[in-house]
Amino acid sequence: MKIEEFRDFSIGDYHRLFKDKEISPLELVNLFLERIKEGEDKIHAFLFVNEEKAKDEAQKKAENLPDELPPLWGLPVAIKDNICTRGIPTTCGSKMLENFTPPYDATVVERLKKAGAIILGKTNMDEFAMGSSTQTSAFGPTYNPFDRRRVPGGSSGGSAASVCSLEAPFALGSDTGGSVRQPAAFCGVVGLRPTYGRISRYGVVSFASSLDQVGLITRKVEDAITLLEVVSGKDDKDSTCAPYPPFGRSEIPAPEEIRKLKVGVPREYFPSGLEKVIKTKIQEVLEKLKEEEIEIVEVYLPHTSYALESYYIVAAAEASSNLARYDGVVYGLRVEGENLQDMYFKTRTLGFGREVKKRIILGTYALSSGYYDEYYLKGMKVRTLVRQDFEEAFGKCDLLITPTTPSLPFFPEKKGRDSYEMYLNDMFTVPSAMAGLPSLSLNCGYDEGLPVGLQIIGRPFEEGKLLGLALFLEKLLALPSPFPLFKEDNNE
Amino acid sequence: MREVISLQELKRIAQVSKLELSEEELQGFFEDINNVVSRFEKLNDLDLQDISPTSHLSWSEPPFSSDEPRAGEGGEEVLKGAPQVANGYFVVPRVVDKEEKENEDRRV
Repeated sequence: MKIEEFRDFSIGDYHRLFKDKEISPLELVNLFLERIKEGEDKIHAFLFVNEEKAKDEAQKKAENLPDELPPLWGLPVAIKDNICTRGIPTTCGSKMLENFTPPYDATVVERLKKAGAIILGKTNMDEFAMGSSTQTSAFGPTYNPFDRRRVPGGSSGGSAASVCSLEAPFALGSDTGGSVRQPAAFCGVVGLRPTYGRISRYGVVSFASSLDQVGLITRKVEDAITLLEVVSGKDDKDSTCAPYPPFGRSEIPAPEEIRKLKVGVPREYFPSGLEKVIKTKIQEVLEKLKEEEIEIVEVYLPHTSYALESYYIVAAAEASSNLARYDGVVYGLRVEGENLQDMYFKTRTLGFGREVKKRIILGTYALSSGYYDEYYLKGMKVRTLVRQDFEEAFGKCDLLITPTTPSLPFFPEKKGRDSYEMYLNDMFTVPSAMAGLPSLSLNCGYDEGLPVGLQIIGRPFEEGKLLGLALFLEKLLALPSPFPLFKEDNNE
Repeated sequence: MREVISLQELKRIAQVSKLELSEEELQGFFEDINNVVSRFEKLNDLDLQDISPTSHLSWSEPPFSSDEPRAGEGGEEVLKGAPQVANGYFVVPRVVDKEEKENEDRRV
């Protein structure tokens, strides 16, 4: 079989091939490994390919086909490199953790393995997940599979690029302010950030603990549903993980119920700076939904334009505290110094890249005596207003539809030293993250070969309705899943 | 660019963060951080007097774990990731200065 035959596959299709003995897990893993070899010098989605162990695991599975296949049995999965994998390096895209190999699995990894998945490799990311382009990785950038001159988004850019190019059938990412949904939009795939607390964060390297959430990157909505069923649910090792049972597909309303849902469109998500083609594509989708007799209402989220500032204060403050642990003592990089203080300084100065240092300084400033009230406290208060906006809007509708990003995948040169311009790319993904709401990005069309992402936002723990509408839209739009040919760069 | 944080203040914050910045880096951060922080002033448009802050999100009472002894993870394996280990302990460079130490000894 050839890899392109899997272009429109979901997990059930692979399982049918396994049952019919048309392909074995080892043959499947080998096909993905070949695809990685073909694509990696073009897109650089992976930081580590788990070739030997993946083959061994696939071989073991090939020898023992169970009658009833566990939900992810025999399927390779790519994991963002800030999620701990026992015996497999976990670098966070940073020199600080270049030589770090975790002695344990994150809860999500443990659950994937239990469901029969095979770890294919670890994917590239912005250093410590701080970025929207996968350009700040200490190990070189990832390139957008649709157009290598453009960024794949970030920080889960490696995961999104690997799924887009079919180097992996699906992947885990993490989303603090948009790091799953924005790269999913830029790579034309599905990116789901569930409700804060839906999925355990145990073993996920902390960036901003009140915002971090594991996300799922897939080619089909159906696969996001299966993955969510596997990885969600209560975990005694994470007290911020909600004490609820795992998500179940029975929570998804039937198609005729979907037609009764009311969809809100927030006016603030269509500002003048929004790229015209994105506005057009989203409006086309809204028209199609109207034709399907789904009610569309206009809603208001008046504090949207303050959310980004609030987010950067809160996220930097939490990051500066979380990253204090990298001191060269217990694990990770150590640069020897004359004394303990000197070692701390040298280790942190050489271990962290520029963007990480900047956010540590910003966060330390926002938390320091005399500025706490001016910045951090204000940031947290605005977060309350952003949450209240959503609560009010959800009094008038069940789900919201917005663009995922204000622009198409951008060029790295365009966003330079002034990081604020890059931060603006997160303007539509940050507010729902601050409110902890489930949100999903779905490809809704292309403009000159570049994908446009549509975002659906739901009430807390209403992933059922969210995924229901996503399935409905996916069917309605009937777009082919991406399969970029790794051609040489397009002409300028 | 409006100067919200002075160069001196920036140096102090970097020091507290245990980061050494070269003069060139310092200048770069000075511009970049002031550029970001000056945008934060936008929040002053809002009346936040009676708004309570959101520090974290919780949807239910925080769960308690049962008060039973459990085997911890790691042990030997945890130490494998450490830069320097001796007899099951993490090793760090001298914490107390030689001179301080001598003074300390004399006092004893």
